[in-house]
Amino acid sequence: MKIMSLKNNKPNTEIWDKNRNRIYSSKGGWLIGKGVFNHGYDMMNDFVGKVSYMQVVILNATGKMVDRNLADWFDAIHICLSWPDPRIWCNQIGALGGSARTSVVAATVAGILATDSRSYGIKPLKEGLKFIQKALEDKNQGTSTLEIVDKECAKHGGKPFIMGYARPIAKGDERVEAMERTAKNLSFEIGEHLALAYDIEKLLLDKFDEGMNINGYMSAFLSDQGFSPEEIYRICAFLVTSGVTACYVDTADKPEESFLPLRCEDLDYQGKEPRKLP
Amino acid sequence: MTQQKHTKVISRNESFVDKTITRIWHEKPSDDNPYITENCRCHGYDLLELTKKRSFIDVLYLLFRGELPTKKEAQLLEHLMIALINPGPRHPATRAAMSAGVGKTDPAHILPIGLTILGGNHLGASEIEPAMRFLRKNRKKPAKTIADELLKNKIELELPGFGSHFNSIEIMPQKIANQILELFDNCKTLEWANELINCMSEHNIGWLSTGLAAAVFSDLGFQPRVGTGLYQLISAPGLLAHGIEMANKPITAMPFISDENYVIEK
Repeated sequence: MKIMSLKNNKPNTEIWDKNRNRIYSSKGGWLIGKGVFNHGYDMMNDFVGKVSYMQVVILNATGKMVDRNLADWFDAIHICLSWPDPRIWCNQIGALGGSARTSVVAATVAGILATDSRSYGIKPLKEGLKFIQKALEDKNQGTSTLEIVDKECAKHGGKPFIMGYARPIAKGDERVEAMERTAKNLSFEIGEHLALAYDIEKLLLDKFDEGMNINGYMSAFLSDQGFSPEEIYRICAFLVTSGVTACYVDTADKPEESFLPLRCEDLDYQGKEPRKLP
Repeated sequence: MTQQKHTKVISRNESFVDKTITRIWHEKPSDDNPYITENCRCHGYDLLELTKKRSFIDVLYLLFRGELPTKKEAQLLEHLMIALINPGPRHPATRAAMSAGVGKTDPAHILPIGLTILGGNHLGASEIEPAMRFLRKNRKKPAKTIADELLKNKIELELPGFGSHFNSIEIMPQKIANQILELFDNCKTLEWANELINCMSEHNIGWLSTGLAAAVFSDLGFQPRVGTGLYQLISAPGLLAHGIEMANKPITAMPFISDENYVIEK
């Protein structure tokens, strides 16, 4: 067994020394008596009553002040992606919070935290943007749409498991058409990413009878608007808030533990038989 | 904008279980109320018997591994749990708990706040699983070979759990690793990882507390995915203690950076 000796380094700690007891903000802040500043704007005079909340959310997450119509599109997608149905995993956490008389803040935050998931919620959205952006890059370098689809399907044993297409629980996605209508009403055109996403959908429909889901639509649309996967992950951090809160409220106003109560027998124990301690 | 045609929305009628299955815990109902537990067992052992005859560490190990630990395994886990009981008041997670405390946040939230911040990729729980997978994958090869490969490819960032902190090799995790290696036999992963960083110390790569936890968890046979939460669990007492300490103090008990020291960059 070799044990490492402890060396006495002379490290460069300049970056940490510079930041001790001092904040350098690239975002903004409250200068007492002078105002509240945000990316060069005066929040009280430039924002309040003049821009939408979603515009400020996007600005804070990305540093970009987007046009009102794009912020309104984001407003709509937040409606699409959060419903008051406690069978959805994040919402169920909200409902259990109400049932256990957790505070609304804790239950809602817990539900949001659950969407930091690799199978649903916001992380797959990041993957959706990565996929369509890479797919367009490949297409622009000469790869056909069919080759893109075949390559993705091959990663999953020939199955149509492409991020943004197909969907668990149900086939088809009612949210896509709702957002298409919204985009049209807000005067958005179909961009390169979305056009490719539609081509991919056509191939998948022909081959597997599987279509685009809201992730696929959203990823392509937002790629056309120039967002990176990380920017969307940051903007959409609280995507499911309203549905989780709704499910919390529903159970918080009913008797304790009356949400899907479990008898002892309602769990299927398949572990070790009773045994004595050694 | 032409209308794209999509499929109709129909249920896939997926088959979900009727009841959730568990292999950990069995609750036997009382005779007169099926919701009330008469008796409960952890992996087959009666809970009351466990409380009388076994330590908290034993039952913690039992919960995750399904069997009771040997005396040496329990001692090793306890040793690590004491060593990592507190990330310390300078760790971002502890500071988050303290900030919640001094801000008079509901005490029920202090620990979750600290643990959430401790879930990060920098000296946090999210380093544990990849660190355990790295150790599992490589520990059967000579440490020198792996160190040479890593240094050759300069993939230091792909070595979760090991590296430098504030541009130095951490001292405390090394001391703890040294102590464990002196006191316990059969810590093969810890021993291997120690050899690995010995080969890399010239490049300012040493133990981090996360790598240390990952190595000991591996030696105790925990699954990598368990490691993440287990690291949070063993660090929880320190987070809570510091958070509660501040909860008893006025809001002025922690610094509020002055406007002179608050620089808004152009």
